[in-house]
This record gives sequence, C-alpha cells and structure tokens, in this order.
Amino acid sequence: MNVRMGVDIGGLTLKNPVMTASGTFGYGEEYAGYLDLNRLGAIVVKGLSLNPREGNPPPRIIETASGMLNAVGLQNVGVKEFIDKKLPYLRTIEPAVVANIFGESVEDYVKVAQILSDAKGVDALEVNISCPNVRRGGIAFGSDPTLAGEVTKAVKGVSRLPVIVKLTPNVTDITEIARSVEAAGADALSLINTLTGMSIDIEKRVPHLEHVTGGLSGPAIKPVALRMVWETVNAVSIPVIGVGGIMNASDAIEFLIAGARAVQVGTANFINPSVAVDIIDGIERYLLDNNIDDIHDLIGTLRI
Amino acid sequence: MKPGTFATVFSQRETVKGHFLMTVKAPASFREAIPGQFIMVRLEGSTPPFLSRPFSIYSIYSQGNDTFVEIFYKVVGKGTLAFSRLQEGDALNILGPLGRGFDIPPSCKKIVLIAGGIGVAPLSFLAQHCGEDTRGTEIICYLGAGSLETVAGLDRLEKICSAVEISTDDGSRGYHGPVTGLFKRDMGLYPEDTTWIYSCGPRPMLRGLQKLLKDQPCVCQVSLEERMACGIGACLGCVVSLRPDGAEGSLVRVCKEGPVFDIRDVEFGE
Repeated sequence: MNVRMGVDIGGLTLKNPVMTASGTFGYGEEYAGYLDLNRLGAIVVKGLSLNPREGNPPPRIIETASGMLNAVGLQNVGVKEFIDKKLPYLRTIEPAVVANIFGESVEDYVKVAQILSDAKGVDALEVNISCPNVRRGGIAFGSDPTLAGEVTKAVKGVSRLPVIVKLTPNVTDITEIARSVEAAGADALSLINTLTGMSIDIEKRVPHLEHVTGGLSGPAIKPVALRMVWETVNAVSIPVIGVGGIMNASDAIEFLIAGARAVQVGTANFINPSVAVDIIDGIERYLLDNNIDDIHDLIGTLRI
Repeated sequence: MKPGTFATVFSQRETVKGHFLMTVKAPASFREAIPGQFIMVRLEGSTPPFLSRPFSIYSIYSQGNDTFVEIFYKVVGKGTLAFSRLQEGDALNILGPLGRGFDIPPSCKKIVLIAGGIGVAPLSFLAQHCGEDTRGTEIICYLGAGSLETVAGLDRLEKICSAVEISTDDGSRGYHGPVTGLFKRDMGLYPEDTTWIYSCGPRPMLRGLQKLLKDQPCVCQVSLEERMACGIGACLGCVVSLRPDGAEGSLVRVCKEGPVFDIRDVEFGE
C-alpha cells in the first residue's frame, strides 16, 4: 500500500517531489492556515537579496488567458531579516527549506550565498539567474552561458549547501545555458522561470503593468515548460526540477514522466492555497493505481 | 485551518443597472466575519476567469444551521460578468473571511458613511453591524452614484441609517456633483471628537475626501480595492503606498495589512 515518494536532488533529500515555487508561497508562514505545511517536500522561499527591496510600483499583476503577468520586482525583506524573522518559523516545520537568491552582481550573489550557507535551517540554495522583472537584474546572467556559468561557479565556491540554478526560458537554446551551469558545478537545475510578456489597456492605451512588461505564469506556459524540461533532461546529467503552470497532479506527473526529479508548484498556490497537498495526494494515487511502488520508476519513463 | 471551500449560489439578482446581489450558502466559519473583511471567490472548473476575485462582504446571516454570505458587486470586467451569469445552485469556491476589517468605535455619537458607487458594499455591512448594537449611535450615509439608475444599496441603508443623503454626477437625483461635495456641505454638523467616518469608493473620490479631512482630527477609515491574485499575502500584487505622518513611505499589502486603512496614511497618487 505504501509508495516511496522520496527523491534526492543533488544532495537535497525530499520526502516527496513536490515543492512550492519561489515568489508564490511567501516565507511559508503565510500559508500555515490553509494547508498542512508538513506534507510538503520543500518550500522555496521568496527570492532574497543582500538588502531589502521594495519592488516595483503598482499595478503589479494582471490576469491573462490561462495565466497572469506579474512585475512585483523581487520585493523581499533582505537576507538579514529573513534569517532573524522568517527562518525561525521555517525551522519548526518539516519540509526542506530552499533559499532562493538573486543579486545584481556576482559579488552580491556570493555574499548572499555565504550568509545563507551558514544559517541553520537552510537546506539548499536556488540561484535565480533568470528573473526578468528587474531592469538591472538577473536577465543578463541567465541568458548568457558564460555569465550563467560564472555566477554558478562563484556561488558554488562559497556554499556548503546543494546549489540549484533556476533557468530562464527567455533564451534561444536553454540546453546551452543548462550545460554551462552544469559544467560550472551546479548540483541541480530548476526550470522554467516566467516568460516575459505584456498586456495593454486599449481604452487608455497604456500597459496594464506599471513596469510595462512582466513575467507570464500559469497554465499558459506549461507546454513550453514541459518541452524545455524534456530537452534539458536529455542534455545534462544533474537532476532537473520541473516548474511552470502546474495546476494539478496530472500536470505534475507529466513533468515527472518527462524526466523531472521533482516539481515546483507556483501560481496555482494563489488560486487554491492548499493545492500543493492535493498534488502530493494525486501523485500517490496515480502510483498506486499504476502499481508503481517507487516514484523513481515513473521519473523519465516517457516513451517516444 | 480555513482552506478554500465549496459553496453554492443561493440566489442572485440585478438590483440596479449592472449591480448584482449574490447570496452564497457558506460554511458556518464565515459567521466570524467583521465589516470591511473580504472573500476570494472563484468559479469551479477550467473556464475563465483564471484568478479568484476579491469581494467585500455585504452581509452575513444565519438561518437555522445555514450561513449565508452576501456579496454586492458591479460588473466591470470578465470576472464579474462571469459571476453575474451564475444562477441558483451553481458552484463556487470561496476563501475567507480575509483581511483587516473596520475598527468599530466603543462609543461614539455619530457614524458617517461616505460611499462612492459599489463602495457601498462594506459600508452597508458596517451600518448593519453598528445598527444592531444601538447605544444611541446615529448613522448617516452619503451615497454617491453616476445617475439615478445606479444608486446602489439604498433600500437596505434607508432601513438602518437615520439619514441617507444621495448625490449623482449628472444631478438626476439628489445633490448634483460628487459625494464628497455633498459631505462637505454638511461637514460642520459633525463634532470632531464624537464622529467616526468610514468611506469606500473610487480612488479620485477618496483622494478628494482625504483633502477635505486634511485639517480635521476625526477618525476616517477607508476600505481600498486592488487587483490581487491570492488574497492571503503571498503574491504581493495588491500593494498600496502608505505614508503615515512623518514616516517614510512604504508599500503594504491591501489584502493583509488592509483593506481598511486610515485615510491619512494612504498615498492616492495623482
């Protein structure tokens, strides 16, 4: 009756393959009243920078066909307040804690990685080299194989924790970036981040977002994410975490079949705050129904 | 634990042009709602709209073992249009009650409500709440609308309030001009230390009210509306800029720190 759901992501051990994606789950405690957090494989916290960031002025979000655009602009409390005020709560719950980090220079990334690597209760780092929302930010790192490798190597050099690098889909060939990041020492990859998009108010002839462009997420991007995960799994040998438009267990299972070792649930958390637990239950039920007793016997079993 | 929950439409009708009153049968936990709080509502199934929509609570009441939540809304886009087509028995998913509601004064002589259009919804709930607990409190409502066809929520307010003053933009009913102009006319009637003012409406109206009250010491709380994806403080989509007296400006979440704020703290922009 029991199925084995545990996975290992480049040294990060998870009791099940379902994580909550950065920027969609706050610092975990926001969701405490809505689901049993202890069921989750991991919580990836809101992206952290060296100093607090206020983010972009509103309006920051707009609904689109089967998705949404956001230009929150990486608002966050900063790494110090995270450790003092947010981490103590996360230490009291079971899921692995993955600290998502970003910076505007390699030095920024290194400093944040160093601080978090020494913090008790952080289990892995996820390096955002891809967020398209900040004009001076991640985009340059994530879309250039050399820069992506450079920042990966620098973070790896100062971190005792597993390092996951989160890739942007806003590139010509994601496998090229993936290979470069793997060669630089990344322990795992997560993909995809949001796709850059925009939306216009035709009455006023202005963009719906104050920042003009934003990141597209939700089921609209799932086919793109799945294709990129599949291509990347075939291009590298480190574990890949599938992210992008996962709304339910069957979406998550598609990513696992394509070869993702784990998945992250993002925008779906906004629509149904307890969806991550429904997805865990749904994967378990699928394994039972298909007489699979270990999730590894499902991962990467796509028949072509 | 209060995860999103299934609910069914008990009734729905168009009260005035483009304004719908929907009654939803909800779990008993919604009885704890206080005026100014809101709920996130989404349609079941894979049809648009994709995101949930926030609605102020218009009223909560119980009948036997059943709890009913009323929402009163104006059709402004895809989401509200889809909701307006729902009929008795249709399924919804609701989450709440959410956010920080109005502060209710322990004792005050006069409560003044200033509503712009569908902004009447949370104020009517507040009036109902305060009206049930009478300690000689007088509730006066200033109700603004575009024209006489769209004066929303009047019937209920007339039953609860000691006076309802109406303004319309086109002068087709009551005072001709913005509701803030109507309130300005009567402002002298309200003693500063025993009057609490509550308001909800379009941003330009709230900005006007803020200017009017600039040198008045009386309490004025406003309920703000903003686009939001989650309603529980995670998406950071609904921020508003606050600048309390002397303090540095900061962005706060309408869903979590609000939707009710002191009118003096809010930066309404130009």
